[in-house]
Amino acid sequence: MQFGLMTRGQYELGDDMQQRFAELAEQVRLADRLGFASLTKGSHYSAWPYQDFQQLPYLTRMMAEAPNLRLNAGIILLPLHKPLDLAEQLATMDVMSGGRVIVGAGLGYRDVEFDGFGTNRPERIRRFEENLEAMKRLWTEETVTMAGSHFALREASCPTKPVQKPHPPIWIGANADGAIRRAARLGTCWYINPHNRISTILEQLDVYRRALDELGRPMPGELPIRREVFVADSREEAVRLCGPHLAGKYAVYASWGQDKAMPAGDADLTAAFDDLARDRFLVGSADEVAEQMIALARTTGVNHVVMSVQWSGMPQSLALETLQRLAEDVFPKVRQGS
Amino acid sequence: MQFVLAIRGQFPPGDDMNMRFEELMAQVRLAKQLGFTGIAKSCHYSSSPWQEIQQIPFLARAAAEAPGLTFLTSIVLLPLHKPLEIAEQTAALDLFTGGRFILGVGIGYRDVEFKAFGTGREERVPRLVENIQAIRRLWTEDAVTMKGSHFELDGAVCSLKPRRPPPIWIGANADPAIRRAAHIADSWMINPHNRIDTILRQIEVYKRGLDEAGKPWPKTLPLAREMFVARTRAEAVRLARPYLEAKYKAYHDWGQGDAMPEGDNDLGQEFDELARDRFLFGSADEVAEQIVGMMKATGANQLSCPIQWPGMPQEVVVEQMHVMAEEVVPLVKQGL
Repeated sequence: MQFGLMTRGQYELGDDMQQRFAELAEQVRLADRLGFASLTKGSHYSAWPYQDFQQLPYLTRMMAEAPNLRLNAGIILLPLHKPLDLAEQLATMDVMSGGRVIVGAGLGYRDVEFDGFGTNRPERIRRFEENLEAMKRLWTEETVTMAGSHFALREASCPTKPVQKPHPPIWIGANADGAIRRAARLGTCWYINPHNRISTILEQLDVYRRALDELGRPMPGELPIRREVFVADSREEAVRLCGPHLAGKYAVYASWGQDKAMPAGDADLTAAFDDLARDRFLVGSADEVAEQMIALARTTGVNHVVMSVQWSGMPQSLALETLQRLAEDVFPKVRQGS
Repeated sequence: MQFVLAIRGQFPPGDDMNMRFEELMAQVRLAKQLGFTGIAKSCHYSSSPWQEIQQIPFLARAAAEAPGLTFLTSIVLLPLHKPLEIAEQTAALDLFTGGRFILGVGIGYRDVEFKAFGTGREERVPRLVENIQAIRRLWTEDAVTMKGSHFELDGAVCSLKPRRPPPIWIGANADPAIRRAAHIADSWMINPHNRIDTILRQIEVYKRGLDEAGKPWPKTLPLAREMFVARTRAEAVRLARPYLEAKYKAYHDWGQGDAMPEGDNDLGQEFDELARDRFLFGSADEVAEQIVGMMKATGANQLSCPIQWPGMPQEVVVEQMHVMAEEVVPLVKQGL
């Protein structure tokens, strides 16, 4: 089992971002020292009502703080971008880090982002698929000629090849069934999303397995999942400490329209915290969180848990303490029990 | 006077790029130690025959090695990109450099790049202009609504505001581009390709442009030149030639000459002719004298030194960095 730290990097308007960045660097150094396996940063543009750090510059800067962590661009909003740009930047990052890059990829769902990049929601699936194809070709072929709907490669090249061969792992984030089938077809693995309930995920894993079967592919060696995680002395204490911040984040997701990308019956991100948390977040005492993780690994087969432990407004000391408790009191039990 | 280490980060095919990257980080640390005031990184895509370290990741990582220095893009090929992307990415760079970031931009000239980004040469000027406008608005306004030719900002917000809006400089070779730099940018990045006599003519183009726009002389006017110092001019030419000649052959093949003014646009000519009145070769005294001459004639107050050409070994780069910082720059400061 690998354990990863996700830093959203989203903070309230008016926060001193230089100070927040110094705090994130402290979290990242601690995670590296505590034996975490990976650092994940998501991406949004126009992240209002939050401030945010851009993903690729952020992950690259954090290489200086984390000599051991894998660096997960999880996820890149793939339809917004041009494949040559991403292929070259990610290859450079893989070279800089000695082969530690993970390429997360997703569709995106916000119009302010599609508009800002001169595209729209109806084009997103086509752009996602052709961008991924072009990137894989650029990483593995000397020169590429390919006409896409929004780019044309004419003997274009990505002369700096990634260190990982044939290319860095591609984790495809997907909430909806169609997207999960696409992940089976185009990705190294499905990057199981943070929002759906575990019961929903078990159903979706059937979709994923069937899709892999139809393609004649085995289950991937690495099966990652994103979860919201918080540890305190007891469940009550954990909910008291993280509840307000985590609930705030999910209220913003709902206002952004994230729920529209989720399956019917499990798409209410505005429910009261206890309802929202149940079977969705890993929150409790160290023993409880360890049990939840062991159960998660047994039922789903996941072997890389990417955890966010801080939400906008939560103090740094709580985030650091949770990292420490996870590494000391939770991970050893999970390793033993799974 | 500021002097900047300009890093191309281009290496011959087959080079171990992880090792080359570590060498570049050593150059960045050495630059700080030697008193260089800044680090600049250029950008090309599909950069065959060279392998290249990409610009924005490079600068983000290099910022950790040399706190306190100025970091510049020299240049971002702006018509290829969407303004929301560049505004947000460079706001992160501004933060990582403690507010010491400068956004150098240019229009580009290679079809392989335009096409890969879904655009064309004919769109590059309007895209440059509207992108600059949008980036400035995103950096400074709470929410921006603006319809561009290739993007639409609909109440869009730059997720991170720079500490102060970074200066935007335009790198330009051709007269109309220099005039545009005077009108819409905070400075003109005087290019390393044009002959010195061309630059001296073009500084007048820039001045006229500033006058037309009613703008004052820029706070910083940067000048870039290829240079190499040895005991004698002949030795400098002998040592630099293999690398520099190959680099300019690639420029020629890429079509860089097409972006240069009539009468000074043949980068494919024989090396001695190419070098004459364009590259600065010689002893420390000779090179310093040429720099002083150019800086006095143009009014430039920042010197950008692209020391490493593809294939030049690290030990030669390190030696040239020492010579620049310890011998040439003091002489230039004396001479100015």
